[in-house]
Amino acid sequence: MLYLQLLVNGLQTGALYALIAAGFSLIFGMTRIFHAAHGATFTIAGFVFYEFYSVLQWGLVSSILASCVAAGLFGVLLNRWVYVIIQRHEGSFFTVFAASFGAAIVVQNVVAIVFGKGLVTVTTSLSRSVEILPDLYVSPMALIAVLAALLCFAVLHYLFTHTNMGVALRALGENPGLIDVYGLNPRQLGKYAFLIGSVLVVPAAILTAATSGLNPAMGHHVMMISIAATIVGGVGSLRGAAMAGLLFGLAENISLAFVDPQWSEAVTFVILFLFIIFRPGGFYGRAITS
Amino acid sequence: MKKLLTALAMCQVFATAAVAQDIKIGANFPLSGANAEYGEIFATGVNLAVDHINQDKILDGNLVVVYEDSQALPTQGVIAANKLVNVEQVPYMLSAFTGVSKAIAPVGTRNQVVMINGGGVGPDLATLSDYFWNVIPLANFEVKTMVPYLVDEKGLKRIALVYVDDPLGQAVLEDMTRELEAAGGELTGAFSVPAAAQQFSGVAARVRDTKPDAVFIASYGNQQVQLIKQLRDNGIDQPIASYSAFSTPSVRNLPEAKGALFTSQKTNLGNPDPRTQRMVKDYREKYGKDPNMYAMNYYNAVLLFADLAAALQKEGKPITGANLLEMRQKTPSFDFVGATVSFAENGTVQSPVQVNEIQADGSYKVVK
Repeated sequence: MLYLQLLVNGLQTGALYALIAAGFSLIFGMTRIFHAAHGATFTIAGFVFYEFYSVLQWGLVSSILASCVAAGLFGVLLNRWVYVIIQRHEGSFFTVFAASFGAAIVVQNVVAIVFGKGLVTVTTSLSRSVEILPDLYVSPMALIAVLAALLCFAVLHYLFTHTNMGVALRALGENPGLIDVYGLNPRQLGKYAFLIGSVLVVPAAILTAATSGLNPAMGHHVMMISIAATIVGGVGSLRGAAMAGLLFGLAENISLAFVDPQWSEAVTFVILFLFIIFRPGGFYGRAITS
Repeated sequence: MKKLLTALAMCQVFATAAVAQDIKIGANFPLSGANAEYGEIFATGVNLAVDHINQDKILDGNLVVVYEDSQALPTQGVIAANKLVNVEQVPYMLSAFTGVSKAIAPVGTRNQVVMINGGGVGPDLATLSDYFWNVIPLANFEVKTMVPYLVDEKGLKRIALVYVDDPLGQAVLEDMTRELEAAGGELTGAFSVPAAAQQFSGVAARVRDTKPDAVFIASYGNQQVQLIKQLRDNGIDQPIASYSAFSTPSVRNLPEAKGALFTSQKTNLGNPDPRTQRMVKDYREKYGKDPNMYAMNYYNAVLLFADLAAALQKEGKPITGANLLEMRQKTPSFDFVGATVSFAENGTVQSPVQVNEIQADGSYKVVK
């Protein structure tokens, strides 16, 4: 039963990681901007939800909306007021990365000033596990995490295949230079990429608030997962990032049946290294010529 | 223009002269990162002590604390220590966290700078160096108190241990193994978690599998809060126990921590001596809550410096690490907040340990 329990835990963790990674992969894949502040978006989303739901007691739907607005605004405004300006002055990839990293540090410290430096959690009975079979504990939150991930990816799939904006974003990811030829503005499209990618972290942030809690420094862990999943999934592939996130969650938990917990995080990096060595393009990486 | 520049230069000279009268000590605390909450708590005690010392003019000069951020990481701690020692040239440095303390000990020892710990509890900290002092009981004493309480008084013989993969965790594992054997208990499983880990549902499953009577957590900072919550969320209903790190507000205010047990040094806020009463009263006024043992430890650590430095100034000796050490060694006892204490040969204060239980309202009750 231990293996089944670890599998169930892995699915929950994997669903969270898939949501986290997909947002970063979307932004990076579409805009080629290394959005190191994606972890900060996650932190903002989580703490805004905590503030509205637990402190101000606004109600679930209002709190989720507030979290979406905060995350989306942060992503869009950071792009508009920092990345676009740097790129307009022909700033290099590293310049944008440094600016993004700086933004992440600023957010971490502002959140610490406003909310304190300790851990906060959203109290809900949904995070408590129920013994559904002897020695098999599953919480309602696990089901919610998996359903939320499936719903988000279904919506994204529809968006990218059945809407003009979605098709344009995919085109932007494939060939930014050619976008201009079709009369589309890459920077305008980039705004939508940041909006969607930032809002995509909200479900994961809310679920994390209810399961493992929020702290101002949590952005680093989020970035680590996002970057690793983007590489393993293949740059530019949302599906790949999601699958990679799921793989990491499953591996991290199932490995506990065979190794000590201190090695569970290392499993993520072993998978990453194996992909870099044997399949550097990731699950769905595209071959390119130069 | 020339006159303006001359005036500015003169200001700099006077400013420098004013600053030179400041007596500086260093504080190597986690001010950011996952353990920043501790740094915040430590600083409340330090800042209050500095206020009191300057108000009472205990020293011939203004006492100033220079804070550097260790992030509770050994590497960052060494960088911070080097800056405090070589740039700020402090003779006395407040430290915390076992890993950081072990990393900075050679820096302080080499430069004859006193390092004083009021938060880390790894037993190794007692043997680091003559220049490394501790004003907190170390983990071996805490585990030695908790294990017999769990095994003999609560009848909880099978203990599972979840510990952070660092020097503190390793030390607790060794002490726990030894003390459980001596008390007739059993260590059903020992699960080491990375310091940066945040997901513990799998660890909870492994712990559950060993069917313990109780679970001992040896971690700190945000991770210990996450551990408590996720163990409870994932079907661990057995009592949870830990050491003094559980005294932070984020643990005590966690609903899932209700009933958790933890050890801490005996603190008597009702001690009638004037130093204790003043510290408690002013702390309550300034921060709106009672000081916990960390705040008291670092208050005492700064007070210790003031007492030693004042004695050196009285004898006309410079305030250096070597002189502070010599003065401490020849002083039989110190009036700390909460108790009068003496230092053992190895520079560690001996103080009794109590067992506490976290209540539903976030307060804690002494149970032993």
